[in-house]
Amino acid sequence: MAGPVLELRNLNKEIPRPGKEPFQIFNNLNLSVREGEFVSIVGPSGCGKTTMLRVVNGLMPHSGGEILLDGKAADQVSDQLLMGFVFQGASLLPWRTSLKNVLLGLEGRGNNGQEAEQIAKKFLDLVGLNGFENHYPHELSGGMQQRVNLARALAVNPRILLMDEPFAALDAQTRSFMQLELLRIWAETKKTVIFVTHMIAEAVLLSDRVIVFSHRPGTIKSEFDIPLPRPRDMDIRSDPQFLHLENQIWKQIEQEVKAAGGFAQL
Amino acid sequence: MTEEQRNLVSILLRVGSVLTGLLGWHYLAVAVIKDPGILVSPVEVVSKAYEMMVTTGELYPHLFASSIIFFYGFVLAVLVGVPLGFVMALSPLVRDYVNPWMTTLYTAPRIAFAPILLLWFGIGAGSKVAIVFLGCVFPVLINSYYGMRVVNREYVELARSYRLDRWALFGKILLPASVPFILAGVRLAIGRGLTGVAIAEWFGATEGLGYLIFFAGQTLNVPTLFVGVAVFAALGIIGFEIVRRVEKFATPWRGQTQGS
Repeated sequence: MAGPVLELRNLNKEIPRPGKEPFQIFNNLNLSVREGEFVSIVGPSGCGKTTMLRVVNGLMPHSGGEILLDGKAADQVSDQLLMGFVFQGASLLPWRTSLKNVLLGLEGRGNNGQEAEQIAKKFLDLVGLNGFENHYPHELSGGMQQRVNLARALAVNPRILLMDEPFAALDAQTRSFMQLELLRIWAETKKTVIFVTHMIAEAVLLSDRVIVFSHRPGTIKSEFDIPLPRPRDMDIRSDPQFLHLENQIWKQIEQEVKAAGGFAQL
Repeated sequence: MTEEQRNLVSILLRVGSVLTGLLGWHYLAVAVIKDPGILVSPVEVVSKAYEMMVTTGELYPHLFASSIIFFYGFVLAVLVGVPLGFVMALSPLVRDYVNPWMTTLYTAPRIAFAPILLLWFGIGAGSKVAIVFLGCVFPVLINSYYGMRVVNREYVELARSYRLDRWALFGKILLPASVPFILAGVRLAIGRGLTGVAIAEWFGATEGLGYLIFFAGQTLNVPTLFVGVAVFAALGIIGFEIVRRVEKFATPWRGQTQGS
């Protein structure tokens, strides 16, 4: 079997503070993600999950350790754009239509013209936005904007899809539909996904594996394999095994929140 | 109220505002002040305007002269202001170097510069264009600067995440994000530029709308004075309308542009 797609070795991130100890965001992270795996990261607020995602994506430098992509140091392969990032806010450019927003990622790769447009259309179709190619973001609902956001990330054919709480701003109902959509799209594209979320049920529903972060400085506290059968639908949320996993993960997070000073700190 | 009713009310209010304003003016002139040496009725202004535009055509050389001055000063201001604003936004070094002079020139009353510019550029078109330029350039420059400075950080992050190079970052993110700000600056520049024209033509001019107003004031020709002011106002309105249309065309993504 091939090696992991992504490997983090002793990764840490700190922010220097003048005259004080550096501020530790996360520490000693070791994580290995297999090809095609869906991994979610949960943890108390401010534990460094999002920062980790940004560091992996090269938006921020790390302070120590290694990031390996297909066994190679990430800074040596970063220009090939091996990751797609799905932002928490959709981050669509308001002056570009859906199609042009999806094209942006391709333009970054120097991919222009007819061929790029075909690719962009294909992914808009995949996320269910056929017919909305020429709509501006302000003409789309929150869920649709996140679909464009996802299509943009997929269109660059990333090695890994990084998703930073992409459904956090959606209402509960839309959120559920988007989770199902993501499951469908993930099954069709077979991408490797790292998904950061606050919502334990969301993590369990979507993932092969859920990683629990400790409170700051964040590190991996525990890992849960999610052996629930696929394809999954919303009925699985009442499955005893699902509930058991959800409960166990919640207890882990609760411990961390208490260790960090209790709920009042949230 | 429905959308349509609101629109109707809006239109009625605007038309009503114009009508009541003109009626009030007419009443003030004819029934209260009763001295055409101080205030003339709008009816007389219209008839004077008709005379100057249709019968004698004497308005046109003035209108033309002022328009040319405005055009050169304004276009020059946009050509200088927009790029300089961008460079200042992108380079703190340039910003720090330019800032003291910009602040000084921007806050000093422009009318004070008129005699100096007249001295330097002579009484021809050069000094007048310079005065207009000085009026227009700062709103354009400052808005271009801020437009680029306040670009949503999310968009910059997006560009980095998708590995856009610095030219693509500029062309695909920073520039389009700044367009509404630049156009707002251009809108302000129109008003300030027209003021510049009026000021410029008060000093040693022999034609132009500013000269027309100045001369009419000196000779107590009140109807002509009002015609001159009205034409300036009309130019301002036309300028605003042009910018509004450019805005609509250039930023269709903003949906509803702000009301005029």
